[in-house]
Amino acid sequence: MNKIKVMKYKTKRSWAEPYKIKMVELLKMTTATQRKKALQEAGYNTFLLRSEDVYIDLLTDSGTSAMSDNQWAGMMLGDEAYAGSRNFYHFEDVVKKVYGYKYVIPTHQGRGAENILSKILVKKGDIVPGNMYFTTTRLHMELSGGRFEDIIIDEAHDPDSEFPFKGNVDLEKLKNLIKKYGAKRIPYVSIATSVNMAGGQPISMKNLKDLRALTHKHGIRIIHDMTRVAENAFFIQQREKGYEHKPIREIVKEICSYTDGATMSAKKDALVNIGGFLAVNDWDVFEEARNIVVIYEGLHTYGGLAGRDMEAMAIGIGESVNDEHIRARIGQVVYLGEKMIEFGIPIVKPIGGHGIFVNAKKFLPHIAQDLFPAQTLAAEVYLDSGIRTMERGIVSAGRKVNGENYYPKLELVRFTIPRRVYTQAHMDVIAESTLRVYERRNQIKGMKMIYEPKYLRFFQAKFQKL
Amino acid sequence: MKTIIEPFKIKSVEPINFNTKEARINILKEAFYNPFLIHSDDVLIDLLTDSGTNAMSSNQWAGIMRGDESYAGSPSFFRFKDAIQDITGMPEVIPTHQGRAAEKILFSILGGKGKYFVSNTLFDTTRANIELTGSAGVDFLCEEGKHPTIPAPFKGNMDVAAFKKFIIEKGTGNIPLCIITITNNSGGGQPVSMQNIKEVKQVCVEYNIPLFIDACRFAENSYFIKIREKGFADKTVKEIAQEIFSYADGCTMSAKKDAFANIGGFLALHNSALTLECRNLLVITEGFPTYGGLAGRDLEAIAIGLVEVLDEHYLQYRITSIEYLTNKMINAGVPVMQPAGGHAVYIDAKQFLPHIPVDQYPGQALIGALYIEGGVRGVEIGSLMFGKYDAEKKLIPSQMELVRLAIPRRVYTQSHIDYVAEVIIKVFNKRCEIKGLKIIEEAQILRHFTAKLQQIDL
Repeated sequence: MNKIKVMKYKTKRSWAEPYKIKMVELLKMTTATQRKKALQEAGYNTFLLRSEDVYIDLLTDSGTSAMSDNQWAGMMLGDEAYAGSRNFYHFEDVVKKVYGYKYVIPTHQGRGAENILSKILVKKGDIVPGNMYFTTTRLHMELSGGRFEDIIIDEAHDPDSEFPFKGNVDLEKLKNLIKKYGAKRIPYVSIATSVNMAGGQPISMKNLKDLRALTHKHGIRIIHDMTRVAENAFFIQQREKGYEHKPIREIVKEICSYTDGATMSAKKDALVNIGGFLAVNDWDVFEEARNIVVIYEGLHTYGGLAGRDMEAMAIGIGESVNDEHIRARIGQVVYLGEKMIEFGIPIVKPIGGHGIFVNAKKFLPHIAQDLFPAQTLAAEVYLDSGIRTMERGIVSAGRKVNGENYYPKLELVRFTIPRRVYTQAHMDVIAESTLRVYERRNQIKGMKMIYEPKYLRFFQAKFQKL
Repeated sequence: MKTIIEPFKIKSVEPINFNTKEARINILKEAFYNPFLIHSDDVLIDLLTDSGTNAMSSNQWAGIMRGDESYAGSPSFFRFKDAIQDITGMPEVIPTHQGRAAEKILFSILGGKGKYFVSNTLFDTTRANIELTGSAGVDFLCEEGKHPTIPAPFKGNMDVAAFKKFIIEKGTGNIPLCIITITNNSGGGQPVSMQNIKEVKQVCVEYNIPLFIDACRFAENSYFIKIREKGFADKTVKEIAQEIFSYADGCTMSAKKDAFANIGGFLALHNSALTLECRNLLVITEGFPTYGGLAGRDLEAIAIGLVEVLDEHYLQYRITSIEYLTNKMINAGVPVMQPAGGHAVYIDAKQFLPHIPVDQYPGQALIGALYIEGGVRGVEIGSLMFGKYDAEKKLIPSQMELVRLAIPRRVYTQSHIDYVAEVIIKVFNKRCEIKGLKIIEEAQILRHFTAKLQQIDL
């Protein structure tokens, strides 16, 4: 099981896109001098760059997808009534059909759903186990007085392990938590498909089934962070026995069937620029959520979204579970990853679903974690060619409730690939530019943080070169 | 020319679904006499709100196509920021997915137990967000504002003397903010005069209390100042708006009203330390500071809408069209808020239905009757929205029992409005048959959105 091929397709056909381009957005080219100035002004934080100064934007795959002509047509069908918009009923219907959850509430984005869910389910002193933290998800648990406990398998923290399902839960770790704290203090287990912070790594269906059996025994809910569920389903189809011939649509629905509810940022898999939702099977939780969503988001039939955005989301969800779409999506990511491997650049393996995660600890072994190797590397890649990436290491991990820094094992730079936006030639440029930085890696020095915000510091922190 | 025409023509239309009166009787029953629970497909003329229901212009739609969806540093954000700075003169601009999110962030920082937020009148979600922090919201509306059918030019004004008295009583330390809502939505869409804003500002300066503007309908308010207040006739509406904001330390705005957007809002302010705190909270629930939970395209639409709304031909048309429906009501003897407000016609349900006591929600009862008669959907602004219970579970009613028929911007034509007038008059002529309501299920906060009601048989 240890050595798997990076990608085995069922057929030999290449991953050519199952679409053609209908509308383009022009890019601005910048010079090295301009980039140097822009980066300085941004405090060496790629989040603070103006997007006009960016050539290829790999900051995130969130909200940056290209919508289809059908989704744009849906945008024109927006019913902007404050209450009872027909787009809501279409959206509700699609969520029920595709994911199988009973009740759904739209939110303006994923973190809106996380906020509401944490307010309802997490109490002071609670423990929320999960397959690796995600920045906003963990913060919402903490703000409600809970604590996150990582129960992902150890392989997930090893960037070189080629284990096919590095998003799996270590059931022993969960059993120990239940023994230590008691099931009553665990309001739910938080399961992400696929695990972003581990490098876009999937969880297997078998692991999920075993987890379901264990949580059932103790009466603990599973809440599904489902923002990239279709990508996870693709890996199950490619790697797990018994699923080779199942369509993505069925696998997605089966995944959801082992969970009790979900938060979704539709800005990823569901191919929209804005939107999310909270879905649950439990009527009481739904009723409470419906009463509080109106305070933070908007009435429960629009949740802070324009009608047109609910329509685009309904159509996007349908497109996201199409086999050809997801095959081309991940095919492109793998194409870039294989190029980097060929160039000898250290990346997280196996290649994940939504981006390439470069191992900054290995790339810049001479820079200590306190001097922000991943943040430094992201800055250097931007300087080389105007490619914007994101730090996913010590800066993103932030501080514990007691003020100490988290020191994550993974110190990564995420090259996130927006869906349906860039071409193969763009991928070539990205790999070549990263290679150029790799060749001069010994001259690169670390940085120090000169401004640190209170919450989610990676967004707005500022740095200085040493 | 006597007739004031719309300063636009129609570029895209949306069909209306027709249904029968019999069908509507059932629909209303199934929606538990709550208009918020009716499907929009079952509504003929939707006057539930003017929030997010506007028709965007072709220029705004072009902006929608131009939206840059970058997560950070989108040029759409910089155009959005420039448009807001141009009008408010405030250096710090924070986008939010809608107005209540801006309020929530501001109040979580400034609020807390034992504090008082004072205002001419706070709107429902504003009040809820204040109360959630443990603070209280206190309204000081001028006397004219409390009498719906007696006309006065600036019925949204704040009672400055009462405000001052309150400060002395409670101490300045317990009053983190004074908020002026322009126009005063809960009090009939009535404007606040520049003179009143200046006087409030003076008191705020004297006692060192920051002044914020709830700016949802700032352009409508500015236009009223231009046509009603001495000394402003020759100023542009934009200049008037700029003067209003010059007296404020900050503002919150739901861009779903006067910015013609379907979604979006913002917080703008001068204080950079407070801004930093706001941005810290923003990233948790809204999004990164350059998108705040909005798509890039929505930032574009707002930036363009803020310019369009200050066009005086538009504002003249807007205010006149509200007057048109109000005058039809007055001529037919229907008790309405006078003079006409900026965005809606407000029917005085207490006078309309004198046989229904306030604890049977006359406003909500009238809403139901209008829906059944003609498929017109309005909203109650009275004891269902603002009512509370005392220790013995007895209703503490709201000051007024109003029914608001909010007119979405640039959506309905004069013949739609004529139809609405006919429906109201028909209901007025058989008002004695309308029955009161009782609540059978309600949430603890903002109950009017989801409450379920039942008819009380006579």
